[in-house]
Amino acid sequence: MNKNIGVYVCECGPNIPERIDIDKVVNEISSMDEVKTVKKYSLMCSNDGKKFLKQEIEKEELTHVVVAACSPKDHENTFMKVCEEAGMNPYLFQIVNIREQCAWMIPDKEEATSKAIQYIQAGIHRVLFHEPLEKKELEINVDALVIGGGISGIEASLSLAGPKRKVHLVEKTDSLGGMAGKLSQILPHQGSKIKSVKEKIEQAKNNENINISTSSEVKEIRGFLGNFEAVIKSTPENGEEKEQEIKTGAVILATGFDLFDLKENPAYGYEKNENIVSALEFEDMINSEKIVLKNGKKPKSVALIHCAGRKEKGYCSKVCCLYNLKFAHYLKDNFPDIDVKELYMDLCLPHKQDQSYFDQAKEKGVEFIRMDEVVKTKSSGDQVEIEYKDNDKTDKLKADMVVVAPAMVPSKDTSHLAELLNLPLDKSGFFKELHEMLDPVATPMEGVYITGCALGPKNIPESMTQSHATSGKILSSLIPGRKIVPEVKVSKIKEELCTGCQTCLSVCFYGAISYDPFKGVSVVNEAICRGCGNCVGSCPSGAIHSKHFTYTQLYQEVLDALR
Amino acid sequence: MNNNQKETKINPEKGKALSSSKGIREEILNIFKKALADDIFDAVMIPAKVPNTDAYSWILLQDESLFEMADPLPPVMAVQGGRALSSFSKNGELDLKIAALMRPCEIRAAVELFKLHQINLNHITLISIDCPGATPLTDYMNDPKKLAETYKKISEKWEVSESLRPACQNCHRFSLIDGTAADLHIGLLGKNDKVTLIPISSKGNEILEKLGYEPTDSLEEWKSNREKLLKEKIKNREKFIKEWQEKINKTDGFFNELNKCINCHNCMNACPICYCQQCYFDSQNITFKPETYLQKSKEKGALRFPLNTMLFHIGRMSHMVLSCVSCGACEDACPVSIPVGRLFSMVGDQTQKEFDYIPGMNREEPLPLQDFKEEEFCEVETPNECEEKVTEEAK
Amino acid sequence: MAKAIRIKNNVEEGLFEFLKSLLEKEKIKGVFTLKKMDEEGAASYSLITSVDEFKNAVPLFPYMPVNAGKELSNFTLLGKTEEPIAAVLRPCELRAFVELAKRAQGDFENILTVSLSCGGVLDLNTMGEKNQEDLISKYWDSVKKAEVSPNTRETCQFCENFLPLNADITVATVGNKDLDKEFTLFFNTPNAEEFAKEASGSSVSAEIESNEINEFKKKREELKEKYFKETETDENGLKSLINIFAPCLGCHGCSHVCPICYCTLCEFDSKTHEYPTPSLSSDLQKKGGLKVPSGNLLFHLGRMTHMAVSCVSCGMCSDVCPVNIPVATVFSKVGASLQKEFDYFPGKDVEEPAPQGTYKEDEFTKIGEQ
Repeated sequence: MNKNIGVYVCECGPNIPERIDIDKVVNEISSMDEVKTVKKYSLMCSNDGKKFLKQEIEKEELTHVVVAACSPKDHENTFMKVCEEAGMNPYLFQIVNIREQCAWMIPDKEEATSKAIQYIQAGIHRVLFHEPLEKKELEINVDALVIGGGISGIEASLSLAGPKRKVHLVEKTDSLGGMAGKLSQILPHQGSKIKSVKEKIEQAKNNENINISTSSEVKEIRGFLGNFEAVIKSTPENGEEKEQEIKTGAVILATGFDLFDLKENPAYGYEKNENIVSALEFEDMINSEKIVLKNGKKPKSVALIHCAGRKEKGYCSKVCCLYNLKFAHYLKDNFPDIDVKELYMDLCLPHKQDQSYFDQAKEKGVEFIRMDEVVKTKSSGDQVEIEYKDNDKTDKLKADMVVVAPAMVPSKDTSHLAELLNLPLDKSGFFKELHEMLDPVATPMEGVYITGCALGPKNIPESMTQSHATSGKILSSLIPGRKIVPEVKVSKIKEELCTGCQTCLSVCFYGAISYDPFKGVSVVNEAICRGCGNCVGSCPSGAIHSKHFTYTQLYQEVLDALR
Repeated sequence: MNNNQKETKINPEKGKALSSSKGIREEILNIFKKALADDIFDAVMIPAKVPNTDAYSWILLQDESLFEMADPLPPVMAVQGGRALSSFSKNGELDLKIAALMRPCEIRAAVELFKLHQINLNHITLISIDCPGATPLTDYMNDPKKLAETYKKISEKWEVSESLRPACQNCHRFSLIDGTAADLHIGLLGKNDKVTLIPISSKGNEILEKLGYEPTDSLEEWKSNREKLLKEKIKNREKFIKEWQEKINKTDGFFNELNKCINCHNCMNACPICYCQQCYFDSQNITFKPETYLQKSKEKGALRFPLNTMLFHIGRMSHMVLSCVSCGACEDACPVSIPVGRLFSMVGDQTQKEFDYIPGMNREEPLPLQDFKEEEFCEVETPNECEEKVTEEAK
Repeated sequence: MAKAIRIKNNVEEGLFEFLKSLLEKEKIKGVFTLKKMDEEGAASYSLITSVDEFKNAVPLFPYMPVNAGKELSNFTLLGKTEEPIAAVLRPCELRAFVELAKRAQGDFENILTVSLSCGGVLDLNTMGEKNQEDLISKYWDSVKKAEVSPNTRETCQFCENFLPLNADITVATVGNKDLDKEFTLFFNTPNAEEFAKEASGSSVSAEIESNEINEFKKKREELKEKYFKETETDENGLKSLINIFAPCLGCHGCSHVCPICYCTLCEFDSKTHEYPTPSLSSDLQKKGGLKVPSGNLLFHLGRMTHMAVSCVSCGMCSDVCPVNIPVATVFSKVGASLQKEFDYFPGKDVEEPAPQGTYKEDEFTKIGEQ
C-alpha cells in the first residue's frame, strides 16, 4: 500500500509558537522522505481547523496523518473522527504532544524546537507501523441482574423492570425479603408498617418483567456496562440443580448484611444464659407475640444492650439505637409495669423524628445508662447480672431478660462476589463505593452498582434511596437501541506461541482472558478486554501483544526519541 | 491452584525400612516392579541407560523387562526430570497412573512446572530420593567408564567431592521431606543396604499401605544421618553464595562471567523452568534494520555479535530466577563452560529470599509474580512509612 | 587473475593493520570480525566502527564462537547495509552466508568479504582455558606446514573446501612457512581492487593454489573417508543413527547455532512436535516403554531433510553438543550424498536457487522407473 503521510503542526493559538520555531519544524519534517506534505495551522481543533484537515486528507489522498499539537487526552479523538469522516482509517493517525511535553516545559526555544522535531519524527515512524484496526458495534443489553432479594434488591428491581428491560433477581435463600422481611415492624414513627415489605415482595413476584431465581447464586460473571455474561446456579431443596447462562447489561449488588457473632465477645454471655437473646431473636419474639423467659414467665425487667461488636468492628451500625427504642416502646406499651433499661455507648439519633421518639421513651420511664463496655454477664439466681464499666467506674445491674444488639457486618457472600467481579472491599469488608461523596453507589467496574447494607450499615429509607440511585444510573445509560463500541486496542494471543501457563489470566483485572483446555492456550475475549496491557507485560514469551501498542510501534518511537 | 491438588501433608515420623542383600538398586527396582504388578501404577518414569551406549535418558516403562536398563541414581543428570515429565504430561489428561522417581531438584522443578500449568499432576505420584549429587555431563561423556567408577565411590560414601557438579557440591536440598512437593520419599542415607520408604503426603501413605509396607519403622537413624550431611551442605552453600556475591559485586562482575558466551541458548533449553514455546529473546521483536545496528555500534565503538547476548541472560534471569531450583542443568549444557548455573543459583537464592519463597517446596504456594499482596516491599513502595518498620525488625 | 599483494609483516598483525587503515581512512565504516572480550582468551564477533575499539580485533583468532554467516544474516535480515563494511569470515561461514542470502535471509551488498585459506578452528571448549595459548601456537605451526591440526573440529580436519569461494579478498595462510614474516593478500573481485591500493606491500604474481595446498587437500580427504566410515551408517543404516543420537538431550543446540537453520520458530520447537498425551496408553501398550522426552531422532532426521542439502560443514553443531554427538560428521555425510544427487554445491553461487525450490522435469527418473 502506498503510504501518504500528512503532518500537521498546530500552533494552538499563541501557545506553541511562543516556545517553538514552527517554521523550522515544518522545514525539517518536510525533508523526510516518508512525508508527503507538512503544513502548519493556527488552531486545528477549531471547526475551521477540522474542516481544513478533512480537506487535506481528501486533497492529498493521505493514508496516514500525524498531528503535532496538544495532549492526546485533549484531541486524539477529535482528529480521529475527522480522519474517519474523510474516509481514512482513524487508527492510522498519531497525535504528537508538542504542547505539554515541549512548549510548556522547555524554556529554551532552540531546545524545545529540536525536541519537538524529534518527537514528530518518532510519531511519523510509529504511524508507519499502525494497523488499520476496525471498530465493531455491539447492541447493548439493557437488562439488569440484581444479586440479593432483600428489600434493596426488590426495590431496585421494581424501579427498573419494564417491558423493554428485564430484571433477573437472584436470591441465595429460598425466599425473598432478606433481613427486613424478618422484622416485626418497621419503625412506626417513620410511618411504615411491616406489611410494606410484604407488599413489595408480592409486587416483585407479580411483575412479569422480573425473573426471580431463589436458592440461586451467581457462579461466574464477566463483562462491562451493556455487555455482561453471567452463569446462575440454582440448587432448590426439592428439585434439580440447574445452571443458567444469561446476558445482561448491568449488575446491582444488594447482598445486604449479617450480624456480628455475639459469641466472639464472651462478655455478653450469649448462649451461656438462655435469657440473653440477640435483637433478631427478640424481633422473632415480638412477631410471635411471645415475650417470655425460658421458664415461661413474663419478664419483669429487660435490659437492652447497644453497640455489641462496635469496638471489635470499629464502626457504629447506625440503626440499632432506633430499633432498641422501638423495643423499649413496645415493652412499655404492652407490659406497663416492666422495667426497661438501655445500656449504650453513644446515642445515634440523626433523623427528623428520632429525638422526639427518644424523649417519648424517656417519658415512658425507660432508663438510659451510658457505658464504655460490658465487662461480663453472669447468672444471678433467675436473673442476669450485667457488669459494665463507665470511665473506669464499674457498676452492675440485674434484669430478667437481656437483649443484645449486634453490629451489622458484611454478608458472607461479599468477599466471594468481590473476587468474582474484581471489586475492592473496604477495611471492614463491605463493598467499596467508587467515591464516598461524589459517586456513592458506583464501583470501579463500569456497569456494576451497589445498594443497601452491602455498602455499610443503613436503615431502610436509605437503602431505598440507594436502590433508586442505582436504577437511575442504569436507566440513563442503558437506553434500548443504543450501541456501544467495545475497545478496539485490545490484546491478542498468538496461539502457536502460547503454552497455557495462564500468567496473563492471573493478572487480568477484567476477567477478559480465559483458558481453553482443549487447545491448551489462553484466549482473550475481545468484547471484554479494555486494552490495559497488563497481560502483555506479564507474558515472558511475548506471545501476547497489544493491537495498537506492538513492540515494533513502540520501539520506533523510542528509537527516535532517544537519538 | 488447578488440578484439584489438595494433598494433605503428614509429618513423617515413621517409614518402612527395607534391607536388601542384592543392593540398593535392586531393592528400589523391586518396589516399582511390585507396584506395577499390583496395579498401583500403570507406568513408571525412571532414569535408564540406553542399551549399547553409555548415554543416560529417561524411560517411561510399563513392561517389567525394561527395568533391566533402569538406574535410580545415574552418575549424570542428562535431562532434567521436570522437563522430561512435562514433555508427555502437558497436552491433555493422563488416563494412566504414573509414578516418577526423580532427584529432589527435579521434583521441585516439576512442582514449579505444575504451578505454570505445564505438568498435570492429577495421575502422577512424585517420588523423591536422597541424592548424593551427579558428575558433570561433559566429564562423563569424555570418559564414561572412569566417571562411573568415581561416582560409585563418592556416592556410596555421600562424599561432597569436587568430582561432583558445582551445583551438587553447593546443594543443601538433597533430601526432600519438608513441604508438599513429593508424595513419597526414598531415604538412603546411612547403611548401604537399607532403603527407607517415607510417606510425605496422604497419597504416599496410601501407596505404602497398598504395597503392604505400613510405615511403622523409626526414622531416627536416617534423620540423624541426614542432619549431619545437611549441616555440612548448608555450610558449603553459604560459602558458595558469599563467594559468588563477591565475584559479581566487582565492577562488571556479572558481564565478565559471560565473556565467552556464544548465545547458543543451550542453558535455556536445558532449564526445566524455561517453558515458553518461543523465547522472547529469540523472537522477531528484537530484529532491526542494519542502520540501527550500525548506529548502536557507533554509540560505543563496537557492537557484539551475536546480538543481545547480555540481554538474553538478564532477561532470562528476570523471567525465571524466582523458580530456579539450582539444578545446574544449564551449566552442564554450556559448550563454553560458563558457570551459568552458579550465577543463576546465587541470584535466585537472593531474590527468592526477598519474596520469602522456596521454589517447588509447596504445591499450594502461588508463584510470587502471580500473587498480589497488599503489603509488600514497603521499602520500595512507601519508604517513609517503612523506615520505622524496618528498624523495628532489624532490632 | 587476482591481484596479489605481498605484505612484509606477520599475517595476524598485517591483516589487522590493513583493516585498521581501511577503517581509519573511512574506506569502510565498520569491520565485522572477531574481537577479544577479556584477557583470558574469550573472543566474540563484533561490528567495530571505531578505530579505538578496533585495537581489540583479532581477525584470524582460530575459533568460531558463532557462524559469522549466520550473524551477517541477522545483521542484514531487514535490508542491506547502506554503509560499506568489511567482514572477515572463514570459507564455510562465507558459503553459509551465500546459502542464506539466496533465501532472502541476508544481503551481500556493500559488504567487502575477507576470507582466508583456512586451517580450521579449535574446539570451543578450549576457549579461555589455561592451555589455550599453547594450543594456538601449535595450531599455527600446523597451518604453516599444511598439516591437519589435531585440536581442530572434526569437520575442519576433514574439510576439503578450505579455499574460499567468491570472497572479495583472500588471505593466504595454509602452507606458507614464512607466515611470521610475510603473507600474501589476494584481491579477487573488481570491487576488491579498489582496496588493493590501501595494502602496504608489493604487487606480486602469485596464485593461491600450490602443491602444499593440493597435498593438504588430499590429507583431508583421507580423513573424511575415515570419519564418515566411523559413523557406520552405510552398514547399519537407521540402527547406527539410533546409537549415535542415543545420548541426545533434545536441547536443539545444534539447530540453534546452525547457520542454515534460519526459521524463527523451528517446527521441532513448535507445538506440532509436542507429545500428544492421549497417545500415551496406546504407545506404552505397543512398545512397553517410551523414552522421554521423545522425538529426538525424528528431530535429527527432520532437520536433515530440511537443511542437509545446504550443509556447509562448519561444525558448529558438534561443538555445542553437550553430549559430544558427532552431529556435524553425520550431517556432512548425508549432506554430501544429497548434494551429489542434486549436483548442488552449497555456497557456490548466490544466484543458484536451492534444490528445494527448483523443479526439473527429468530428475530422479530412476526412482520413478524402479
